Amino acid sequence: MGTNGAEAGTILLVEDEESLAVGLEYNLGEEGYRVIRAADGAQALERFDSEPIDLIVLDLMLPHLDGFEVARWVRDRSPQIPILMLTARTAPADRVRGLELGADDYLTKPFHLKELLLRVQGMLRRKSWYRKTLEQGARYSFGDIEVDFSSLLCTTPDTSFRLTPLEAALLKYLIENRGRVVPREELLENVWQTKAGVATRTVDNFIVRLRRYFEPDPSQPQHFRNVRGAGYEFRP
Amino acid sequence: MRRNRRYSPIAIFVLAQVGWFVLLGLWIFWYVSNYMIFVSAGERISPQFVFGAVNVVALVGGIVLLVALASAFALIFASLSQQMKITRMYDNFIANVSHELKSPLASIQLHLETLSSREVTPEKRAEFVGLMIKDAERLHALIHSILEISGLEEKRRVYDLRAHRGEALVRGLVEEAVDQYRLPPGAVEITGQAPCACRADRRALKVVFNNLFDNAIKYTEGPVRLAVSQRCTSRHFTVEVTDRGIGIPEKSQREVFRKFTRLYSPDSPTVKGTGLGLYWVREIIRHHRGRVRVISEGRGKGTTVRIELPLVPPRRRAGPRER
Repeated sequence: MGTNGAEAGTILLVEDEESLAVGLEYNLGEEGYRVIRAADGAQALERFDSEPIDLIVLDLMLPHLDGFEVARWVRDRSPQIPILMLTARTAPADRVRGLELGADDYLTKPFHLKELLLRVQGMLRRKSWYRKTLEQGARYSFGDIEVDFSSLLCTTPDTSFRLTPLEAALLKYLIENRGRVVPREELLENVWQTKAGVATRTVDNFIVRLRRYFEPDPSQPQHFRNVRGAGYEFRP
Repeated sequence: MRRNRRYSPIAIFVLAQVGWFVLLGLWIFWYVSNYMIFVSAGERISPQFVFGAVNVVALVGGIVLLVALASAFALIFASLSQQMKITRMYDNFIANVSHELKSPLASIQLHLETLSSREVTPEKRAEFVGLMIKDAERLHALIHSILEISGLEEKRRVYDLRAHRGEALVRGLVEEAVDQYRLPPGAVEITGQAPCACRADRRALKVVFNNLFDNAIKYTEGPVRLAVSQRCTSRHFTVEVTDRGIGIPEKSQREVFRKFTRLYSPDSPTVKGTGLGLYWVREIIRHHRGRVRVISEGRGKGTTVRIELPLVPPRRRAGPRER
């Protein structure tokens, strides 16, 4: 494990378990990241407001304000900050809720140090990749839906809402490859910036979310079509 | 824990019972309305079978049968409710205990992987080893408490009840708890006089005091201040431990002694705990034939835990085992 040098960012580490926080702070620091610690949800909001943050490592079971609330609060203010949820809660309902509230990744305790560091690295890389893709074209319309990639704001005739950075990156990649069936492995490699085969279900979960946002009937998708055994195809 | 509220078991039970009784009413109505037809038909077919007593027996038999069915349904419902309660308790236990197990385990794993994959300075190494020992102790305490409670419930735990002078007992237990939780001087104040003697298992009462101190520390923001008062009444030795923590709402004051129960509140400065501490306290005090209760004026107003232990009968007070 080496340092990330000048490319490393600032990480807000929200963890109430003192010994775990000490170990994580040391390891992230050794990788070249600047670490700001918060021991509860209220402190996390204060730190977030007072420091420029590149990524949040967020425990869920926190005093005063739980991790879900912190994620919701952060997403309202800054839709582009990557959030890695780190928790002892393994129930699928918690995982789904975390992802729905805008977490980009979810890691359960106990975890492997190397896996955590790779995920953090991948999330920060995605963030910079996403920033670059924004410069190439910030708005896209299909049907009566308009997506503004700079603010992550989506507008439909009925409502408007914000995408998470990862949802936006996935949508942008599919739009750029519209009309072509994109394999899951390709999405994992180019959007998640991770090796294929690690978690192909992750792609499916995010496609389900996009369908829920944009399809009139998510069970009969028109825009995000699954081609069995091949991948996904976006049709405007 | 989110519960499925689409089908309320109580609503199903009430509807089923109403159904039974409507059926019973219809049956009686049908029987009475057709009584004359039965009699005339019976007389034509077989006159020797038709006489009053048999009809009454048939009517009463039918009613008894339906009431028996309704009662059986009520018993099944009661049993199912109990099962659901146990399942909910089990879910709470799994949620609380898995957090309490996984957090220290994650920390130990993290520090071990750090030590094996990085060049760590001797100072950092010592710090990480210290943290791992603390986490291992936390795991040990959790497993020990679960096994102890299991032993307590199965009555495998034998208490070593001896006569103790109230004041000396409390002073000793408080000093040990202060030492264990590394509280600063002056954090705990002992007041009152208790020259009476009570019967107690000192080791079990140490668990009680440690749990009370642990709760007081966990649920107090800022410096911990505890007041321990003691007194003797005609039948009991009473000790009260009062903190200045977040307090407990009145409606939850009995609930806190239930197994695996934890009160969630945005004011709470901690999320750690298994929901076993005060249950354990209550069980130990019960085995001493004493009483324990929580008194709090509500949120933010601190909590007092009052423990009453029976006095030693006067003839045994001067026994050779008194401490």
